[in-house]
Parts: sequence; C-alpha cells; structure tokens
Amino acid sequence: MAEQQTSQSLAESVSALVDNQASELELQRVLKASQTSLEVKATWARYQMISAGIRRDLPSQISMTDFAARVSAAIEAEPAVEAQPATSQEIQSKPWWQNLARFAVAASVAGGVMLFAQYPGLVDQTADVVADAQTFDAVTPAAIPSGYHGQALSLRTVGLEQGFEGRQQESRNLVFVPREAVATNNARFSAEAQEEWREYLMQLIESHADNASLNSSQGMLPFARSTFVVED
Amino acid sequence: MTHPIWRSSFCALMLALVANTALAETGISNLQALFAKMSRVSHDLNYRGSFTYQYANSPVLQSFRVSHWVEDEVEHERLEYLNGPEREVVRSGQQLDCLPPGDQLLQGRLTRMGSRLEQLDNFYQVKVLYEERIAGRTATRLQVAPRDNFRHGFLLSVDQDTGLVLSSLMVDAGGRVLERYQFIELEILPDASRLAQQPPAQRQRQAKANLGGCNQTEVREPDGWVLEWVPPGFVFAGQQKIHEVRDMLMYTDGMTTFSVFIEPTETALPELVGHRGATLALMSRLTKGADLYRVTVVGEIPQITAEQVAQGIRAH
Repeated sequence: MAEQQTSQSLAESVSALVDNQASELELQRVLKASQTSLEVKATWARYQMISAGIRRDLPSQISMTDFAARVSAAIEAEPAVEAQPATSQEIQSKPWWQNLARFAVAASVAGGVMLFAQYPGLVDQTADVVADAQTFDAVTPAAIPSGYHGQALSLRTVGLEQGFEGRQQESRNLVFVPREAVATNNARFSAEAQEEWREYLMQLIESHADNASLNSSQGMLPFARSTFVVED
Repeated sequence: MTHPIWRSSFCALMLALVANTALAETGISNLQALFAKMSRVSHDLNYRGSFTYQYANSPVLQSFRVSHWVEDEVEHERLEYLNGPEREVVRSGQQLDCLPPGDQLLQGRLTRMGSRLEQLDNFYQVKVLYEERIAGRTATRLQVAPRDNFRHGFLLSVDQDTGLVLSSLMVDAGGRVLERYQFIELEILPDASRLAQQPPAQRQRQAKANLGGCNQTEVREPDGWVLEWVPPGFVFAGQQKIHEVRDMLMYTDGMTTFSVFIEPTETALPELVGHRGATLALMSRLTKGADLYRVTVVGEIPQITAEQVAQGIRAH
C-alpha cells in the first residue's frame, strides 16, 4: 500500500517536473528515485514523449497548440526575449508554421529538449540509440540552476557521448526503413546485408556533402553531417 | 572591425522584408537578393567560429570549429571536430571568382535555354521573426518556409553585421526539427595569415574544390541519364564519376541539394530508405536492357521528393 502511494506520488512529481511545476524537493526525490527505479525512468520517458506531442496520429496543429500554450507562460517569465505574446485564440487559428516562432524561442528556453524526442516509426528498434534513462542518470541536481524555467527539461540534451563510444554510435546512426513489404528471401535483411548497406549509404552521404557544401550556401556544415570515422 | 557596406545592405534588406513596401519598388524578389548577398559574404570574409551541431534521432551534441579565409583570391576552409579524436576536413583551392552553380542560381545568372529561371521566392516564403543575440552578436531570426512539400523549411538567425548565419534549424513539414547548429563564438578577422598558420589536426581529410564548373550561365543536362521529374526550382548542377563506376548527379535549388548516384550492380537489391538526421537516402533500382543498376537519391529532402525523383530516372 505504501509502495503504491510512493510510486503514484513519484509519477505525479515526474509529471510536474516535465511541466516545470516541480519544487526543488520534488526534483531531488525524482532524481534519487530514478537512480534505482526503472519505473521512474520509464515514466519520465513516457511523459517526455507525451509532452513533446509526438504521437503521429495527432494532427500537428493540436500538439503545437498544447506545447505553445504551456511554454508561453514560461516565456512571459523570461526577461527580454522579443517574442510577440499571443492569446491562445491566436495560436489556434494560425497554421503550425506561424506557431513555430514560439516553438523556436521555447526550444531555446527549454534547452532544446523538444527537438529530439524519439519519433516512433523513424527509429529502428535495433539501432544503437542511447536511451533517455542513461542521460537522465548522469545529471546531478547541482547542474540545474534554480529558478531557470525549463532547465530541468534539458536533462535529455546533456550529451554524455564521450570519445570513442560516442563516435562509434554516431557512425552507426543510420536508420533504415524498408520500402517494400518484408521479403520472402530473409537473406536480404541479415545483419551483414544491413551493415553493407549502411556502409554504402554512409559513403554516398559523404559524397553528397561535396554537392551540399558547394551548392546550398551552407559552407562547411554539410561535412559535419557525415562522420569522419577514425580507423585505429 | 565591421564591414559598413554589408551592414547597410543587410539592414536595408531586412527592413524591406519587414515593411513589405519596397518589394514592388525594387523589382527583385527580396529573399533571393538576401540569399545571394549572404552567400557571397560567406565566401569573401575571413572568419573563425565555434558551433554546436545536433541532428534528429541522435542525443549527441557535437561541436566544431570552422575557419574560412581568402589568400590570393583563393578560398581556404577548415572544419575541425572538437569532440572525439582530433580530425578535420579541409578544402582549399576554390577560386573566389568561380561561382558554383548553386551560387549562380542565387545570383540569378543561370538561364535555361536563354530564359530566366524562377526566383527563390516562388519556392520559399521568408518572414522576419524577431531580433536576438547569438554568439554575442545581434542577429535577426528569419523563418524560411517551403511553399511546397518537396523541400524542408528553415529557421535562420542572420548576423546583422556580416550576414553570416549564426544559427539554423532545418524543420520538416510536420514541424520536427531535423538538424540544428548554433555558433557560440565568432571572430571576424581581417588578417588571413593568422588563420593560415594554424597547425593541422592529427587526421585530415581533403574535400574537393572546384567541382561543378565555374560561372555557368546555362543549365545543362546530365550525361547518360535522364531525370523525367525534378522538383520545381531544382536545377542540374554537375556530374562526377566516383570510383570509376558510380555516376553522381548533383541538383540544387539554391538552398537545398540532392544527389543521385547510379552504378551497375550484379546483386539483388533491396528498396529502402535510410535517414540520418536531416539527410535521407533512398535506394532503388533501374534496368537498362539486360543490365541492372542501383539508384540512390541522397539529400536533405523529404521522402516524397526522393521517391518521385527515383521513379523518373531512366537511361539516356
């Protein structure tokens, strides 16, 4: 009974944390619990996904409205950011592109967390994707300045990738989606075949960077998109 | 040290975009004029800066240092990886007065059979959002929304002083951010020698300069292959042979690019799509008589664009 109460109140605290409503004490409790509890980690991930509004069956308009409404309060509290305050009426009547201005500001307030939530369908289940739980663990309470709205949300974007581990995951980070129905010939989808296609596509992406850096006015940025894998 | 000529140009163009009154008077589409100027500035200036970079489906926050300088009318560039093993990509040798097809397109100097091509404003809609401070510099945030589903949109923050893009988000039709970068510091240095004297990184990769020809004025056609459908606004920007068997056809609309890779193959091919952040790679196949070819469309484009391009490729 006591355990049930604890997990419920923890879930509430996680929800509050996601909504920037958590007190310092709640934050400490959640962080401490997350170190041992898989459930808390899962709840955190789930609430992150929900608050990011990434359910693909939702029309984008609705999710943008929710998000925009929730952070506009946070924006109002921030000093000197030149975003036009909008009524919720205004937000709803505008297409998502017009709400994106607020989205961009909010992203900078929230440390960019909304930008890189896991998108179901785009993420290959077998790919080496670092789980939210791992990034969550490594941030200590001391790293979160008090009184900065949305900073707690930026836990996800605190990069943990260091040196070689990060690089290796980077080089493998190419998500596949087959275009035709699963073939009868299972050999096509073997691990070796996938690895071969991955290498092939990475080569092409690198060659394409020549085109992009020359013809898209983005300078050297396209080279940052491909990986420079260092053979040891 | 600021560059007064650029400053007045960018401020004037930004004001025109805001006021929307000068549009009819100038007779030029402002987005194209703005981008034409921005594109040239990045070639003419000596600068060095550091930026963070992140793309969709990856929690990794990368950082880079980029340098660009001009010596004897020739451009030099370096992109250093600041995370992980020491490595960099360098590119030297692009002549300052050699404008690649993408730049020629932005400058309005490309024609197709003598007639002018459609302006960038037909494909993207620009809107000035607000002023902000990035990397310690005053910048204007622009929204560059695509007018069709064949390309992605951008949120760019343009330095008011130089016109360099200090921050950029690439956004798809669903509002998802595909990639973003943001400068955290930027130095505009009049003296190129300081940049040139920097020691090279442990590992260096050379990128090719002077691809795609210089100062082209006529849109060409690819050699050996025909693309029956090209998204509106995109033009053929050149062709290369890679590893002796792979043909690479380059396309651009001035802001967005994609490349088509075609090579003969013996093995059975999957039809699949790979995503890496903003970049999409769509693998398909093509038969020419008894021969089988592997066709891959790669670019920072939506899947629908790649699908339609791939469907329309055939041998000459």
